[in-house]
Amino acid sequence: MASEMAQPGLWARVQRAAVERLHIRLESLLVLVALSAVMAVLSPYFLSFSNFLNILLATSTIGVLAIAATFVIGSGGLDLSLGSVMGLSGVAGAFVAVNLGWWSPLAVVACIIAGGIAGYINGQLVTRAFVPAFIVTLGMLGLARGLALVISQGRAIYGLPPEIVYIGQGRPFGVPMPVILLVLTAIVAHCLLAYTRFGRHTLAVGDSEGAARAAGIRVEHHRRIIYTLSGALAGLAGLLFTARVNAGDPTAGINYELTAITAAIIGGTNLFGGRASILGTMIGALIMGVLQNGLTLLAVQSYYQQMAIGAVLILAVFIDQYQVRKESRV
Amino acid sequence: MPAFIPKINRFTLAFGVAMALCAATSAKADDAEYGVLMKTLANPFWGAMSQGVEAGAKGAGVKIFEQAAESDQAAEPQLNLCNTMLERKPAAMITAAINSTNLLPCLKVAQEAGVKIVDLDNNLDQAVLDKEGIKVTFHIGSDNNAAGAQGAEYLVSKLGKDAKGPVLVIEGLSGNITGEKRAKGFADKLKELAPGLEIVASLPGDWDRGKAASIATDTLTAHPDLVAIFCANDGMALGAVESVYAAGKGPQVTIIGVDGNSDAVKSIKEGRLNASVAQLPYLVGKQAVENVKKALAGEKVEDSIAVPTLVLTKEVIDAGKEPMLEYVK
Repeated sequence: MASEMAQPGLWARVQRAAVERLHIRLESLLVLVALSAVMAVLSPYFLSFSNFLNILLATSTIGVLAIAATFVIGSGGLDLSLGSVMGLSGVAGAFVAVNLGWWSPLAVVACIIAGGIAGYINGQLVTRAFVPAFIVTLGMLGLARGLALVISQGRAIYGLPPEIVYIGQGRPFGVPMPVILLVLTAIVAHCLLAYTRFGRHTLAVGDSEGAARAAGIRVEHHRRIIYTLSGALAGLAGLLFTARVNAGDPTAGINYELTAITAAIIGGTNLFGGRASILGTMIGALIMGVLQNGLTLLAVQSYYQQMAIGAVLILAVFIDQYQVRKESRV
Repeated sequence: MPAFIPKINRFTLAFGVAMALCAATSAKADDAEYGVLMKTLANPFWGAMSQGVEAGAKGAGVKIFEQAAESDQAAEPQLNLCNTMLERKPAAMITAAINSTNLLPCLKVAQEAGVKIVDLDNNLDQAVLDKEGIKVTFHIGSDNNAAGAQGAEYLVSKLGKDAKGPVLVIEGLSGNITGEKRAKGFADKLKELAPGLEIVASLPGDWDRGKAASIATDTLTAHPDLVAIFCANDGMALGAVESVYAAGKGPQVTIIGVDGNSDAVKSIKEGRLNASVAQLPYLVGKQAVENVKKALAGEKVEDSIAVPTLVLTKEVIDAGKEPMLEYVK
């Protein structure tokens, strides 16, 4: 700390470089590292490769949903239907593979298409019917869940073909498939958001719709794409879930949207749009994953775990706001 | 900006202190530790089960390590908990799976690691387990079919073998195996014992008190001479009780629930609900731990252990002589 004092500006330079190059705020990374260190000290089981994989595996579906939430929230929107759409997609995939007995890759496509359609409908309603995103996606939350229950007749569709189960339970090179898929999705999403025109437009729309329109961005069109993308990602999460538990479960993903949004916010996404980072979101998701895993290893009851996650959310946003205010004062 | 650094450290410190407190209250690992994974504790049934597990562990002198999912629909979070619990290398995993498939990947890993697996409350499906190649040390729980049958026996003992009249059955959530077994057990036994009592409707009440109340009201309109209502759980039975009393037919209709939860006991004592077939989750939890200890010691344990159920009525509760009453929580 003393050395930081001796060279004022070093922390600021590192921080700025992190924000500019990696699009993350170092505070969230510090919290993650500190939290991991604390867990490692407290539990002898925490620091092991298999436990590390456990954490990533437990974060995989939520992580994919959180990526979706990052795009939507970054563009100034909101998607409360993520968890339900995930449940619907998983059921759709299981229905195609098990009940219809179609070729497995078609079931994979069915998951993503089902999610994409739900997202597209969200987008259409938000941009053409002028119903607020909160209401549209809240409606979709009920619609998608209901449809999932109708398709599955309220029961999990069990017994997927081995190729699909492999997506959830396979371990090439010892790494669980959902982890690999999460990492790949995150890399693609990061590049999309940070280095493409699409990503810049997303944040521009979220920052100021009027300015984005004045700059010639087709705001409505862009929003529809983002909601569709969000739905498709929820579909991917549904696929991971279904493959993992080997069943299309119509109750899958209840309340996951809230966890996904929490991960994005902890990772520094501005709830009102204009600022978002996929890497930050991944750190946010990992903070929650590490917290849950560590507290479980320490045999702390689940009620306290929920409290801890709530506290971290408030803390993270507090730190974030503190930083933002400080910058705006400068 | 440097002023921010101590801030972070203070947070880290706060974290550390909080975590240390958590650690101080938590048990340290042990060779003979049993992992206990529940559905959710936000339900008196599972709360009582958990108390039973703790009592069993205390009695048997073993260490347990208990976790529960946040809700009984959190299938994937429960799987994550299961995976994490395995990191502590327990000797056995006593699991109450949220559904018959969600824990399978974890149970497979547990089996490979030589951890004994117990199916608490019969949530796993033997056919699915066979298909997945998972061997469970034993299943333990209440026999829901028998609980329904006991409800029918009580009704016939109260009304007599030659009783006649319409009977309503309010089932659980459609597709839920527990509710199905209870309703079927009741219907089969009633047909056998008193064919004059005819089930005029068997409708899903979705475990919902309000829905059951509406069903009871509607059925009373269609069948004003209704003599009995059997509900697949106590919550619904308590809803039905309110409808029946509101219709002024309290003494005429015999109402039976299943579970033996504290609200039902209260209502039975007040003379409103006639009976509840009490599942004894406390006893299930206790016996689960005791039997795991036996199995680990190499003793023979039955594949499927049915913990008895008890018909609670005003007489039984007031008399207080039934030894199993102590397990009604």
